[in-house]
Amino acid sequence: MSLPLHLRSYKEKSKDELARDYFNIPNQDAFAPVAAGEKPVLQKVRNRLDAGGLQGMDINAVLSVEGKEEVYAGRLSLLPPFLCFNSVDRRSCRFTLPLFTIRRVERLNSRAGVFALSLATWHGMRIILQLTSLLPTAEHFSILLRDALKAQLAPMKQLKPFLPSFYSEFLIAGPSTQHNVDKHDSLLLGSEIGEKLQQHLDGEGDLRGPGSEGKGEYQRGLGETFGFPGDARKMRERSKMKLWREYFIVHGRNLTLIRYPPFQRLLQVGLPSRLRGELWEVMSGSVYLRFAYPDTYKQLLSANEGRSSQSTDEIEKDLNRSLPEYKAYQSDIGLAKLRRVLVAYSFRNPELGYCQALNIVVAGLLIYMSEEQAFWLLEVLCDRILPGYYSPSMEGTLLDQRVFESLVQRCLPMIKDHFTSVDVQLSVASLPWFLSLYINSMPLIFAFRIVDCVLAMGVKVLFQIGLAVLKINGEALLEVTDDGMFINLMRTYFSTIGDSAHPNHPDPRVRAITNFQELLVVAFREFNVITDETIQGERKRLRAIISDEIEKFSKRAAVRNLKSAGRFDKETVGVIYDHYFTAVCSDDANAGGLSGDYKHGDQFDQPRILVDVNGRVETRIDLRTFRSFLAGIATWAREETVTSNAFIQRTDKRVAEHELIDRLFYSWDSQGLGTLALQDVVVGLDRVMKAGLMESIEWFFNLHDKNKDGYLTKDEVIQLSESLLFIFRNEPGDIYLAAVSKFILNAYEFGDATAPPVSGETEVLSPAIDGQEGSASHVRERSDSVARPHNLPYLNLATFRMVVLADELLENFFDTDLSASFQLDRGADEDYHQAQAKTEGLLGGLMNLVVTDTNKNRFNRLTDTFGAALGKHVEWRKPSLTRSRQTEAAPTEIGQRESLLTPAQQQQIEQRQRSTSSVSQTSVTSAKSTLTTDGKSLAEVESRYREESEMVRQAQEAVMHRPKFAVDAIGDSDDEEEEEGREGDGDGDDAVMDEVEAFLKAHGADDEGLKGEQKKVANDLLTAEPIR
Amino acid sequence: MASSDDSSLKAVQVKLVLLGEAAVGKSSLVLRFVQNDFNENTSPTIGAAFLTQKCRLENRVVKFEIWDTAGQERVRLDRYPDPFHSLAPMYYRNAQAAVVVYDITKASSLEKAKAWVKELQRQASPNIVIALVGNKLDLVNDDAASSAVPAPPVDAADDEDEVKSTDGEDDEDTADEAGSSKPRPAAAASTSDSLRQVYTAEAEAYAKESNLLFYEASAKTGQNVGDLFTEIAKTIPIDTIAPKPVPAGRRSGAANAAQTDGNVNLGEGSQAKKGGCC
Repeated sequence: MSLPLHLRSYKEKSKDELARDYFNIPNQDAFAPVAAGEKPVLQKVRNRLDAGGLQGMDINAVLSVEGKEEVYAGRLSLLPPFLCFNSVDRRSCRFTLPLFTIRRVERLNSRAGVFALSLATWHGMRIILQLTSLLPTAEHFSILLRDALKAQLAPMKQLKPFLPSFYSEFLIAGPSTQHNVDKHDSLLLGSEIGEKLQQHLDGEGDLRGPGSEGKGEYQRGLGETFGFPGDARKMRERSKMKLWREYFIVHGRNLTLIRYPPFQRLLQVGLPSRLRGELWEVMSGSVYLRFAYPDTYKQLLSANEGRSSQSTDEIEKDLNRSLPEYKAYQSDIGLAKLRRVLVAYSFRNPELGYCQALNIVVAGLLIYMSEEQAFWLLEVLCDRILPGYYSPSMEGTLLDQRVFESLVQRCLPMIKDHFTSVDVQLSVASLPWFLSLYINSMPLIFAFRIVDCVLAMGVKVLFQIGLAVLKINGEALLEVTDDGMFINLMRTYFSTIGDSAHPNHPDPRVRAITNFQELLVVAFREFNVITDETIQGERKRLRAIISDEIEKFSKRAAVRNLKSAGRFDKETVGVIYDHYFTAVCSDDANAGGLSGDYKHGDQFDQPRILVDVNGRVETRIDLRTFRSFLAGIATWAREETVTSNAFIQRTDKRVAEHELIDRLFYSWDSQGLGTLALQDVVVGLDRVMKAGLMESIEWFFNLHDKNKDGYLTKDEVIQLSESLLFIFRNEPGDIYLAAVSKFILNAYEFGDATAPPVSGETEVLSPAIDGQEGSASHVRERSDSVARPHNLPYLNLATFRMVVLADELLENFFDTDLSASFQLDRGADEDYHQAQAKTEGLLGGLMNLVVTDTNKNRFNRLTDTFGAALGKHVEWRKPSLTRSRQTEAAPTEIGQRESLLTPAQQQQIEQRQRSTSSVSQTSVTSAKSTLTTDGKSLAEVESRYREESEMVRQAQEAVMHRPKFAVDAIGDSDDEEEEEGREGDGDGDDAVMDEVEAFLKAHGADDEGLKGEQKKVANDLLTAEPIR
Repeated sequence: MASSDDSSLKAVQVKLVLLGEAAVGKSSLVLRFVQNDFNENTSPTIGAAFLTQKCRLENRVVKFEIWDTAGQERVRLDRYPDPFHSLAPMYYRNAQAAVVVYDITKASSLEKAKAWVKELQRQASPNIVIALVGNKLDLVNDDAASSAVPAPPVDAADDEDEVKSTDGEDDEDTADEAGSSKPRPAAAASTSDSLRQVYTAEAEAYAKESNLLFYEASAKTGQNVGDLFTEIAKTIPIDTIAPKPVPAGRRSGAANAAQTDGNVNLGEGSQAKKGGCC
């Protein structure tokens, strides 16, 4: 049994993290070491992608690139070690430049008031950036940039040997680059590239289509050997390659690639097969990982060679079933590659291990990518692009299925309503779409074009395509009456996706439009309202529900799988589970930084999760977690300090530490593993909570009888007494102290009388007893260390029982108080996530604004200080047992009052106190700001809601505009079909670009960037001299 | 209700679910039954696949609606039941029949199958007809030998207990453990083929004890596949499905007839002819 711990440690991403995600910059936290043996190596290279404490900064800027007319205003972000730009419309132009690819930065001598930097990249591109903020801000930015650049000298040295791994380098080094060489060379400050180009001048530029093995040392996929899917001629590979080549020359390539509008167009007609792998890794950012960790993949393989696990077994089963229609996967070469990548990843991320559908995804990647490339892209997919999709609980998949359902409800309400009415679940069909990135759902050549878009534009594409599929099939979907019909309809649609969308149209050009083209147009034109923000928002909204469901399921499974529930009913076991789970989670929180460390393999160093020989993962708790677990249910296992000052009264709970608790832990550890599973805890609790008087006494006796010989030694008697005192430590008055003292006295008295005679055998065994006869009179002096060593059997159970029963207080304690001190009355936190989500809502958000976890302690201290100053500060410990409150006067007024209440009533009071205290906390600190923030957050929420509903309305209008479903959308609207249609007869590059036009339209007009004066300034800068 | 092409008989719909460990051949059995086809390597099922096939008995037509589920635990979508529906996972919610498949060359797969049977007996509808199917019969050519092997290993009962004590998520793990901890003495029992890890007698005894239909079959050769589904169709209690008018002149008491009249089935013969079992 393993518990879905990570769901609670989930935190919404910060703005900075989102920015990094947007620019495909790897998350540094993801680089936890893989295995203990590998730590040093990985840490050494770690610095390469580390910001190293360097500061990032955002600034407004205007971008122009030499050789391009367009000038774009946007936001320039320094995210060390990357420099990123995004145009204002977040669509036309963007780049992610690793700083180590920038050879030179100069400030340009230009008109007054214009602060402009000229960047020369490795590939000889010159980028002009006008920083349009105030001068000091711009200067600050350039200082930060300079510092960040300085830190990149080491990786810069790695760049040159790394570049030949790109096909684009091989492609550019052809003869037709001749005329560019001079121009570029003159721009280059160093001449390496120039030399390199010269060397390759005689070489053949490789514009060949797929299928034949190319030369060069670039990383390549199986397609180079076994042929790429699809007909190269039909896919216009040669034309596409030529266009890309031209694009690379102006806009940079691989690590220095800048996305200008033509990029989007080239992308959406499908990447050429030979460039696909490289562009995938560049667009997704996985290339940065490959660059930074050149040895990791090999090391993972060699370190785990010959190891097998549950994951490797599962991988083995699926190897033969991964795109078996592709030739390479009918051969050992292909299967071996597939195996290596999947196995390496399963060891890198043992918690995820292997999930079916990954075999298909990776099989797809390997057609276009080398093993190492595919491995890193897989990492980025699992980690960032499709987070939680393939994890054991698959929470990401479940979440996105729910998000998809909700988007269908918004955009295609007729379909969703119909499905609801006939009880058909969308996910029966859509689950494989998302999990296999459509690779398993439609013919490969089309599926990979969707993968192109997903890797370039993010996960929203999966949703857009999904919605478009439903919309196009809308009419038929309304006829569906059961899951089966739905699945079959989808299957039929995908199998005909390469067919003409309008087979009977008189115009041959219209006939040439395929279902797939129509699908993309609908997806990107009609569903462009679905943005990254939409997805993030929906995920945030629905995550709580999914997390709760998964946790409830895990709980049910865990409770059901217990071998024994003892004398507890299922519900109570559920409560025990809640406490157990809460303890594990809170412990995580206390340990801190779990999210980072926990990720890859590290959790197996921690005792809380155990992996057995079969690679099975089990959640167990260690002593530390056990303490906090016990503190949750046993009153005496926690210190409850009630503090009251002039402002608030609060109860601080702290986990107590005592040998008794450790003793309990080890006695419950039935397998001697040093950790407890839920089963151990249930059995352990059963023994103490369901016990009667005699059973309890025996249990307590055994707990202290270390060697289980049926006798306590004198030491153990003392320890037992200490345990009792520990339990009684907070009881008011001294009756408990008196009772324990009496107990010790009696125990010694009776013990001496009943202790087993020291036989000859013991004398032989332990000469230390020499000379002592164990006479009762001696012992009564209680200075009996000489009389009888402390480590000999002394007090047996019967005597112990007698001694206990001699005291009414102790008898009552063992009869009822002990078991009653374990309180399982609370369903620890039903719907934890929803509750969390709610507190982030209206009032909760307000509460959080004022009192957060971090400032709570400080706030408490502050009020304490005030209270002390006013002489109103009072602190007392809350007693553990209820009985004492009835028998003894409590030291404080409140304690006295409480003592008259039943535990349940006390609980209520506590809760009330807790809630009132937090309320009073807020009101005391910021009675004024409360109101304003309240108003503000409400207004915000409202406006956001209005915005959203407006968006929804627009989407609905756009989508449901026509009463009939727009199956004929292309046939009867706009003019793009003419351009698309032409595709059929031309064979030139224009034809390729024609297809693009449809998308262009889908995306709205091309942004040509800035106009007029601003553009002129920017263009002037291209000729400006650097400041000396 | 779907209309039947044979107007004299009204097709009754039967929801059937296939369950079992990954790669035991669930999808292949369905493919054989529905399309009379076989692919050596089919993609792993993600979530579930859905197919239909009609099966004609002498007194009725059964239209199977087959849910072919994913073998790997985590990619079955139904682990988290929809709170708005019943608690039973959706693929076998309301299922009238279940085919629990194991691989006769993999002992652990039987343990997983047993866990499934237990899950079904607890969660599925009470009248569900469960068939236990050992697939990949083509890989062992020791039919005679295996059926001649006497009683299953003595620890069969222990196996049972072990399976009973666990289920749900951990099934697979326990099954693996059980499987590996008790290696089958294949060589000792059968010299003809050592691939077989599950003896017919052992599985049969379990099936009988648990009141399951039992077949060993091969999706590759088609052996017993038609019989299997026909037998299921016959065994489905007629009154749990839609009321069916019994045409005059036809024998009533279909269930009884099915039990005794083993010969009357339109298994493979008609399947080959029409690409299905009807």
